[in-house]
Amino acid sequence: MIRFTLNGQPAEIAPDAMLLATLRENIGATGTKAGCEIGRCGACTVLCDGAPMNACLLMGWQIEGSEITTIEGIGTLAAGAVLIRAMEIENGFQCGYCAPGVMMSLTGLLSRDPAPSDAGLEEALEGNICRCTGYHSILRGARLARKMLKDETT
Amino acid sequence: MRISRPETLAEAEALIAGGGVPVAGGSGFQLEFSQGAVAPAHYVRIGHLLPMGIYREIDGLCIGAGTPLEEIRQAGLPLLSEACRDVAAPNIRRLATLGGNLAWGKGCLIPALIALDATVETREGEVNILDYLAEPKGIVLYLTLRPLARQTWRKIGLRQAFTASIIASAGAMTLERGKITAVRLAVGGGATPPQRLQTVEDWLIGQTPEAVDRDILRERLEQAISAPDCAFRSARYRKRVAAAALSAGLFGLPERHAIRPVSRPKATIPPELTELSRADGGARWHTRPDMPAKIRGELTYLTDRRSPDMLVGRILRAGRPHARILSIDTAKAEALDGVAAVVTHRDIKGLNGFGILFQDQPALCADKVRYTGDPVAAVAAVDAETAARALALIEVIYEDLPVVTSVEAALAEESPAVHERGNLVTEVIHDKGDLAAGWAEAVHVVEDTYVTPRQMHGFMETEGGWAAPEGEGLVVCVGGQHGARDRMQLSRILALPEDKLRVITSPTGGAFGGKDELTVQPALALLAQKSGRPVRLHLSRAESVEAGIKRNPMWLRMKTGCDARGRIVAQEVEVLSDSGAYASLSPGVLETAMEHVVGPYEVGNFHARGRLAYTNNGIGGAFRGFGANQMTFAIECQIDRLAEKVGLDPIAMRRLNLRRPGSPGVLGQKVAPSERLIEMLDAAGASPLWRGGETGPKEFGPKEFGAEEMRSEEIGPEEIAGVGMALNYQGNGLGTIPEDEADFALALKGGKIEARCGLDEIGQGMVASLHAAISTRLGCGRDDVSAIFGDTKRAPDSGSTTASRGGYVVWRGVEETAPGFTAALLERASELLHRPIEELAIVPGGIGEARLNQPKPVLSFAELGEIAPVQAHYAFPKSDYFKGNARFIFAFGATLARVAVNRITGALRILDLEMHTAAGPVIDMASYLGQMEGGLVQGVGFTLTEDMPMVKGRPVAKNFDTYMMPGVRDVPGTMRVTAHEGLDPGDPFGPRGAGELGIGAVTPAIANAVADAIGRWPVVTPFPPEMILDLMEAAR
Repeated sequence: MIRFTLNGQPAEIAPDAMLLATLRENIGATGTKAGCEIGRCGACTVLCDGAPMNACLLMGWQIEGSEITTIEGIGTLAAGAVLIRAMEIENGFQCGYCAPGVMMSLTGLLSRDPAPSDAGLEEALEGNICRCTGYHSILRGARLARKMLKDETT
Repeated sequence: MRISRPETLAEAEALIAGGGVPVAGGSGFQLEFSQGAVAPAHYVRIGHLLPMGIYREIDGLCIGAGTPLEEIRQAGLPLLSEACRDVAAPNIRRLATLGGNLAWGKGCLIPALIALDATVETREGEVNILDYLAEPKGIVLYLTLRPLARQTWRKIGLRQAFTASIIASAGAMTLERGKITAVRLAVGGGATPPQRLQTVEDWLIGQTPEAVDRDILRERLEQAISAPDCAFRSARYRKRVAAAALSAGLFGLPERHAIRPVSRPKATIPPELTELSRADGGARWHTRPDMPAKIRGELTYLTDRRSPDMLVGRILRAGRPHARILSIDTAKAEALDGVAAVVTHRDIKGLNGFGILFQDQPALCADKVRYTGDPVAAVAAVDAETAARALALIEVIYEDLPVVTSVEAALAEESPAVHERGNLVTEVIHDKGDLAAGWAEAVHVVEDTYVTPRQMHGFMETEGGWAAPEGEGLVVCVGGQHGARDRMQLSRILALPEDKLRVITSPTGGAFGGKDELTVQPALALLAQKSGRPVRLHLSRAESVEAGIKRNPMWLRMKTGCDARGRIVAQEVEVLSDSGAYASLSPGVLETAMEHVVGPYEVGNFHARGRLAYTNNGIGGAFRGFGANQMTFAIECQIDRLAEKVGLDPIAMRRLNLRRPGSPGVLGQKVAPSERLIEMLDAAGASPLWRGGETGPKEFGPKEFGAEEMRSEEIGPEEIAGVGMALNYQGNGLGTIPEDEADFALALKGGKIEARCGLDEIGQGMVASLHAAISTRLGCGRDDVSAIFGDTKRAPDSGSTTASRGGYVVWRGVEETAPGFTAALLERASELLHRPIEELAIVPGGIGEARLNQPKPVLSFAELGEIAPVQAHYAFPKSDYFKGNARFIFAFGATLARVAVNRITGALRILDLEMHTAAGPVIDMASYLGQMEGGLVQGVGFTLTEDMPMVKGRPVAKNFDTYMMPGVRDVPGTMRVTAHEGLDPGDPFGPRGAGELGIGAVTPAIANAVADAIGRWPVVTPFPPEMILDLMEAAR
């Protein structure tokens, strides 16, 4: 078995098991969503050592010793906590099924760069498909989070 | 699977020689498996052994093969960084490596590497990239790139970003003393084999760039490029766009016409419009009650349910489009360890059939399969792996039947019958006036056939949920749109009384009509019944793509004539619609299309015939818009085309033909008051977008707190832009024929006002609307409300969450129950406080003083105790026409689009979208705005990128790698949505439906914008870029 850290806690995964399946099927951590299982929708986005990646493309052997943060751990990240507030205010989502993945993609970006350009925000979301919103409400939430992060530091 | 982690490259090579498959980033395998590749038995990890990083050396740029593509993307390297930007998405590029992209052999970076004349250093030595590609040998260690002075790169895909490659082209060139001394041209990517275009390079050498004849260059390039056809794009298109891209990239763009001056008549005076945004909405903007949990990933969807004794279910699909079942043998599957139940048609005690309109669809196929996704058997096992193994052990013997692949073929006399009753499902004919007299008056005539796609709902949560024995019956929990009807259908299949069945249908991760019909409920219920245990079942995306309901593709031939002034005098319409293997709601979709057959216009003489046929092309049914948006596409383009012939402004043309408020509907039926077509037309005529022309207005879009400035999107030098508009109106409710009623109740329990409503929360904001409507009507706070919904045991039957009926059902339910409930609350308060009722009022938090402006509760809702449900039963308002299905209530809209047409690729980019809506008072602003924005963008997908081509009854797209829903780069730069909220005095019908309005007119608005830009109307959706290029050429 491969050892890794899941939201700060030690966890295990078989080397040839998909992280997404391990989360949802074995561990029962169903906050991370399954949308396509080939890396084409981003619903399963998690942070792997801080970088957003698709949990359906990560096998056990790829995350040996890594720190995996899922949506269940988003509140522990400063940028994530701000993003949550901003998305609530802007009503970023509708059905919400893409939300965990979108939130992790944006948290990864804002943790690294709290003041990304509009183009940077959009690029960070290129791998996340949302079927309900048309993305504008998500982008409004992301831009508000950027503003709140800026206001916090000034 | 064995996974080795060798310590050295030599060790790795030995393992690879022994049959192991090398893997570096490992980002491509899941996609390959989904496309049919078999997972290798042995992975040999090499990522940790590969050199990483970018080094600038004397003879070029050297990059380690293990360098992730995202690092290269950020490094600002000539050509390659730009190319990496077009590979997948950032989250995947962090994993993917340069060496992996090359060794895969199909990577889109390869043409860039060829144009950079890369030297590939492998463990076997150094070779040129072309030699490596011809005979890949050895683990790749480094690539050395030799950029030239001028570079160009372009990847052409199926949407703006994160797309499979249609063709990628790369070029590099150096000039000395004005002459071309070195040039490299390459194409490749996806199905296009990588190739260097040597003959064209030879021709260019020695020429001065100014002297290069662009036409000859493109011709030579097209001849030199070898490219295949595929289901999505032709070889001709691939060659053409790659040639145009290389020519433009190295030698400059062809000249474009000057920006056309705007010539619009005087602006109209807009009606009163509410700008829908948080900045404009102020106190009307609320956080939706379901938002906090969704954002945190804390909402438990029905497919998220886990419990220790829960089995995992899987369904065996036919895998063939049309066949007789000779036998089904489940013995081996049943004998497998860990399998708890296997079910087939033999386990069905009741009716082996379902369907909202008629029951032609088997729960589990018995004698015949009619599409590849038809379910034949299902298993429940201890885990997913065992269930998958068990499926493979079920032996079904088929006798294949001839496949019915199109509506035309299905309706031909000699066609094989998909169902015994024949292939014609329904025919709808509407006639009015004297067509011959109409044609005699016609001066201008436009005729064309508009084609619309087999759009997939693409809800992010695929069909699924769980079921378990409960008492003497079952609880079945699957995302749906009408629990009570699902229960009725299940009761018929299971031969179990409805009171033994509890059906839970909410929350669900999107539906859009695609979860209206039963999906996995029959199989799941049968498995839970037979195993006696809880079972969960969640379709993989691939299974959902194959088995799920889609939008009915339609062919709409429309011939429209007007007199010299522009008054429409005659119209003939012939519609064909593909029902797929079963009917579901497809007959209703056709009826709705036909009900909108002349649009919101007065057409005295028309003949319209629509036919719906069974085929073996998947299954069709309900999808947001429900036929209206398809018909609107055709009619709204016809109007613009006639306007052009007459010489009228599109708005004036519409105004001339608009139906008079209060006049009978298309079928002669009585319609509801508060028609708002004139207002919508005036809103469009006053729009800055409409008046801004090609460059767009300087200031555009809603105010926003997080954004610096809002303006219309700029166009690039490759683009020509145009502006188009279209009107729409959408019937609400199920119509005159089906039963369309609702139950609703308010109760007080646990300190909350319980709204018991059987509708479903599918993302649209039904819960937010309940909170909003109750708070507005009763005077309580939104937080005082608790919604009980989507559960046949806890909530009453409120009818289906479809047909834009939810808003009305919610509002009317509150209107009906509010007086009795308010009285009950105040009476109780009066007793408890010993004060007269007149002095008391409902306030946020409880009961307060009636006379105070900002009343605080003197008694909390919790202190009031419980109040029994105050119930109401009511009908959705209906018209008086019963010869066919007709709507009474309509909502209205005008959509404007500013669209850029790419002169090189024929691709379209939606710059700005604006929508004016008139659906009565807005119940909850955020939800309403979300419905419009989401509908608009779903319409953009319908118009530009989404289709499910079928080849011999099999879908070409298997997953989201080739089924292209809009991504964040495909959506308009700005969107503005307004609401005209007023109703006629005395209008008793309240808010109109908002669910389908947004998607209604976006397609013709875009088509009309394209015509504004290039002078021709595209009529096949999604608009093929090749057709756009052809239209541009034809216009020249």
